[in-house]
Amino acid sequence: MASIQLGEGEKTFIIHGICKDDLRSDGRTCLSYRNFELECGVVSNTSGSARLKLSNTQVLVGVKAEMGPPNPLNPSRGGIEFFVDFSANASPKFAGRGGDELAAEISNMLGLVYKNKKMLDYKSLCVIAGQCVWTLYADIVVLECGGNLLDAIALAVKAALYNTRIPLVTVHKDMDGTEDIDVSSNPHDFVTLDTKNLPVLVTVTTVGSGHIVDATLEEEACSMACIVAAVNKEGAIDGMVKKGSGSLTIDSIYKMLTSAKQIGKDLNKSLDDFLSKKGSDMSSKGFLT
Amino acid sequence: MAGLELLSDEGFRLDGRRPSELRKIRLRLGVFDQADGSAYIEQGNTKALATVYGPHEVLGGKGKPLHDKVIINCQYSMATFSTNERKNRPQGDRKSTEMSLHLQRTFEATIQTHLYPRSQIDIFVQILQADGGNYCACVNAATLAIINAGIPMKDYVCACSSGYVNNTPLTDVSYLEESQGGPVVTVAMLPKSEQIALFKMDNRLHVDHLEQVLEVASKGCKDMYAVMNAAVKEHVSRMAKSMECS
Amino acid sequence: MLTSRSFVKKTRKGGVMKVVREHYLRDDIWCGSAACTKCPIDKPVLEKEPVPEVENTLCSYPHYLLLDTNVVLHQVDILEDKAIKNVILLQTVQKEVKHRSLPSYKRIRDLIANETKRFYVFTNEHHRDTYIEIEPKESPNDFNDRAIRKSLAWYDEHFKDTPIKIVLLTNDIDNREKARNEGRVAYTVNEYVKAMEGRPELMDRLAQIETKERERKANDSDITAPGGRNVLYPEHLSSYEINAGIKQGRYKKGTFKASRENFREGYVSVQGMEKMVFIKGLANQNRAVQGDIVAVEMFAESQWTAPSTVIAEDKGSKEDVLDEDTDNSHIGPKKGAVPTCRIVGIIQRNWRPFCGVIMPAAVKGGTKHLFMAAERLIPKIRIETQQYETLAGNRIIVSIDSWPRDSRYPLGHFVRNLGAIGDKDTENEVLLLEHDVPHLPFSEAVLSFLPKLPWTITKEDETVREDLRHVDICSVDPPGCTDIDDALHYKPLENGNAEVGVHIADVSHFIKPGNALDTEACSRGTTVYLVDRRIDMVPDLLSSNLCSLRGGVERFAFSTLWEMTPEAEIVNVRFTKSIIKSRAAYTYEQAQNKIDDKSQNDALAIGLRGLLKMAKILKQKRTDNGALTLASSEIRFSMDSETHDPIEVERKVMRETNSMVEEFMLLANVSVAQRIRQEFPQSACLRRHPVPPLSNFEPIIKVALTRGFELQVDSGKALADSLDKANIPSIPFFNQLLRMMTTRCMTQALYFSSGMLPEDEYLHFGLASPIYTHFTSPIRRYSDVIVHRMLAVAISADACFPELLDKAKIQEICDNLNYRHRMAQYAGRASVDLHTQVGMYSSLPV
Repeated sequence: MASIQLGEGEKTFIIHGICKDDLRSDGRTCLSYRNFELECGVVSNTSGSARLKLSNTQVLVGVKAEMGPPNPLNPSRGGIEFFVDFSANASPKFAGRGGDELAAEISNMLGLVYKNKKMLDYKSLCVIAGQCVWTLYADIVVLECGGNLLDAIALAVKAALYNTRIPLVTVHKDMDGTEDIDVSSNPHDFVTLDTKNLPVLVTVTTVGSGHIVDATLEEEACSMACIVAAVNKEGAIDGMVKKGSGSLTIDSIYKMLTSAKQIGKDLNKSLDDFLSKKGSDMSSKGFLT
Repeated sequence: MAGLELLSDEGFRLDGRRPSELRKIRLRLGVFDQADGSAYIEQGNTKALATVYGPHEVLGGKGKPLHDKVIINCQYSMATFSTNERKNRPQGDRKSTEMSLHLQRTFEATIQTHLYPRSQIDIFVQILQADGGNYCACVNAATLAIINAGIPMKDYVCACSSGYVNNTPLTDVSYLEESQGGPVVTVAMLPKSEQIALFKMDNRLHVDHLEQVLEVASKGCKDMYAVMNAAVKEHVSRMAKSMECS
Repeated sequence: MLTSRSFVKKTRKGGVMKVVREHYLRDDIWCGSAACTKCPIDKPVLEKEPVPEVENTLCSYPHYLLLDTNVVLHQVDILEDKAIKNVILLQTVQKEVKHRSLPSYKRIRDLIANETKRFYVFTNEHHRDTYIEIEPKESPNDFNDRAIRKSLAWYDEHFKDTPIKIVLLTNDIDNREKARNEGRVAYTVNEYVKAMEGRPELMDRLAQIETKERERKANDSDITAPGGRNVLYPEHLSSYEINAGIKQGRYKKGTFKASRENFREGYVSVQGMEKMVFIKGLANQNRAVQGDIVAVEMFAESQWTAPSTVIAEDKGSKEDVLDEDTDNSHIGPKKGAVPTCRIVGIIQRNWRPFCGVIMPAAVKGGTKHLFMAAERLIPKIRIETQQYETLAGNRIIVSIDSWPRDSRYPLGHFVRNLGAIGDKDTENEVLLLEHDVPHLPFSEAVLSFLPKLPWTITKEDETVREDLRHVDICSVDPPGCTDIDDALHYKPLENGNAEVGVHIADVSHFIKPGNALDTEACSRGTTVYLVDRRIDMVPDLLSSNLCSLRGGVERFAFSTLWEMTPEAEIVNVRFTKSIIKSRAAYTYEQAQNKIDDKSQNDALAIGLRGLLKMAKILKQKRTDNGALTLASSEIRFSMDSETHDPIEVERKVMRETNSMVEEFMLLANVSVAQRIRQEFPQSACLRRHPVPPLSNFEPIIKVALTRGFELQVDSGKALADSLDKANIPSIPFFNQLLRMMTTRCMTQALYFSSGMLPEDEYLHFGLASPIYTHFTSPIRRYSDVIVHRMLAVAISADACFPELLDKAKIQEICDNLNYRHRMAQYAGRASVDLHTQVGMYSSLPV
């Protein structure tokens, strides 16, 4: 991840604040989340899109629904594919193939979480079993990278999927069984996805003996390890990964998960609230504001 | 003619513009905090984002520092969802490499490169939505980002494309118009001195028509300049005001 | 300068790709009327006081007409009448018409181009106040109807302070009612036309369109249609089902050809099958008309039948029974059975206006008549007319509108009365129509591209063209020729060689690529010569005046100049655009006399003699190479100069001068062909004459053998030589007869684009030339115009344009030219036949 270099004193200052006073450099407590800015329908030629800005982190997610042959192992299910692009806009380090490794890590992680059958109604994405299914390509562009990137990405992905409109297709069946697909020419004919089971990711970062959520870039620099948990709206954990070079005790992981569950539940709720109000927007100002 | 009628007999293009009209332009300077300069531009449905880092010390393996001028490093990329049909990779393909090179040439011609010897300036542009005239949008966005970064240039660089249909030149061609196989001329121009920093043409066009088409493209560049200049002035005065306040 | 206002994104899904296009809405689209005070219009199209030519009892007030799509699609015949003026045509309507029927679109564009018709196109979809968005669950059709009514409302509001009203014309009752409910004036075309005072015959031109209602009912109840009439024909499959069926191989695509012997039988030539497939019975033919592209279902072998040996003509006795004699008695394959099929759907109709005669109504004084087309393969057509008395005994044109399932015959409407049967003009008209020769007067749009008279040669022209006015040029043509497109000259040079020039009218100077004039000429392809009439490819001003290289006037030419040795070897060739002044326009006979008259020794006479000498050498060389001299049985009519009636029939006389001109034209064509092939290796427009397959010659070999001659047909040279030998002194006609028959054995010469074929197929067999093209008659052949343009590019005299480089495009043009040439030939022959017959008939002793 884009890292910054901090002096020892500065690190100590941050660690002490968190461990002793439950106070962070920007004035938050350890478990408080920052406000973020979310907008749906920013890229009009996608099936669904969302832009999320969390302080200095900014991601743009575009979902494109494409029809194609299904995975032979799951002939009657659609699917979702993730692709993360670290734009050089975020940092010159990402120029060329600079961000590829990190990108692969994140897309694998999202893929793992979304593999679960319960996440989306993959069956409904099937057009003709064995021949033709919808595949959702969720492409994530990291435009600015300022800490807590994974959480931001997961939030934006969920919002973009909520925003996604899949064109309504009808299948004609012939007498002898061949099928043909018809797409409605009326732009009002579309189906949306049920995103209520989708989790968000909550990264809990250990700093010294304490742990925090929604870490800034500086705080990340002070940390040796973190866990990333996928939490759904009930607070259940759909997946978990430990990252970083440090080690954690079972006890501290348990504590961190408890925090993650609570934060995740709240985060889901506020996101769902927002989406039910603004999530169906199809044209918004995007970067102009 | 079975194909699309790009210009109706009543003189309207498919999207309702007249031949000499640009698409709607909307832009903003300073969209990111981390970069030294950034800008966002929409030309119709073509949307581009540009950031500028530098001048800074020469990083990575991108060649040695030059003793007399700054290295301009450009990268053009397209979001995978930007095109109608999804792309597999944002950059690194031939087309984007070519575009990167074109951008580099364009800005080497306009940035006051001698002012920053032994350093490097990075210009990154990303197409978020592609609807024709991608190169133009990138050049215009990059120009604004460079201005935003405070890097001295000889002049603005404004880019505009033009096509030629039914003996009529069209300004600022959209993707639909581009993809019909007619000639498309792309021009990047320094509007004040009317010098051309880049000139590129796709498909065949008879040399007799070139002058008209070129004229229309350069007119488009100047119109573009007017819009960009107004935006820069407004941005600067807003900055000045907020500085006064603080 | 950004003049776009608010804009709305339009999402269009092609396939499953989401496509987003911008859609700008404007406030600078004007109403187009001279009566309007609000819109700043320079050139209003609609009249200020739209007083209709014909008093209309329904709308006695001044009004503009606004048309619904279905009116434009089906009732163009009415719209073309001069009684319809001041019409607003919406962009939406135009778009839909273009999508649904290109011929209708073309006709409506011609109407728009015609200034006197005052058709105004209103770009409603980009107007801020008339743009609408599709609503959920709205069908595209309803959406279009709503868009039309929206514009209607806008116009109505726009003219509310003027006495002018806007009248919607539609065929859709539904749309009419909706418009009326919104407080607008709306009529169906039938209502409107009926109310026109003094033009009852217009009613006949209304197309008999199935109302939607009737169609629906017919589909609901398969047994009986409204009125208790039987449904006679099986339903057609939808295009969707047809496509799917063809993909799976269940159906086959082919062209329907009615049988000449029996109206109940037909054949379908299916793609990829050598033999035509047989169809028996009208029900199996299922309303296909000669030339339609159809989808057929093959029968199993057990159901195959044999074509009947009876000749049957459709007497049309029983109206509601199709195949009364369907003998289904035979089970199992019949003797002589052939592959049989039935038609399940129509892929593309080949309906065109048909010439023919009207038959008396079944009930005396009735309005329903049957129409019998001159082409026997076309079924009878049911039409309704009030003017039987006028039409009886005349040749008329009828268009087919539809063929419902419950009608024995297709329904059509009367279009035009050509004139009395047997009348010369009428019969010519029939001949042209039946050979698909475009012969309408040139449209306003076409004429608008003609140069303005008086036409003069400007200083600028003089700088870009070589001045050859001092050269002694003359033309040699058949008598009475007014479209002179070639002229010649011969000038001895000091080094003993001679300069020979062929000068061709520079038609491409006047016809610029892509304009209406060019498109029209391209579509016509060739001038058609009938015995007493010429149908020009380009307007008269060009063909008989500006492009015609008449004697004594200055004209633009495209010149080919050779330097030749006295042995007629070409030392040097060059091409140039020039200005010439022909000294004289000779007939073949005059030229011959001038050559023969030893007393004449002026420059022209010397020139002609020089040319003749060269031509003879050239011809010898050609013959040595294996070029064929073939005879054709061309005859000529001498015309009465007053009445244009043929007075006598004569065989064409070949003079030396004929072949002299021909020789130089061939030479020019070959030289040009080489040059343009060099410049346009992929897209040169050339002409080839394929080597005829040996089997073609079988009949004449047999004939020659009966007289003891052996014809060698393995090469052109051998054939030419053996033809020369086949001479019976006692029967001088024998050799000519053989040559005439050889002509029949030949394949057709064809235009083609050089990139479409390997080089060894460029061969022109008849002329024994490895490469050939047509360059010398641009006034009457469009191929020559293309070649002129290519040559002009090759010598940098003119600008190139993309079409010239597109080999597929050139081939497309060539295909049309080949078709037009064939048709023109047939029409010409038919005209000769007609006149021969008339001539014989009238010279019969009474």
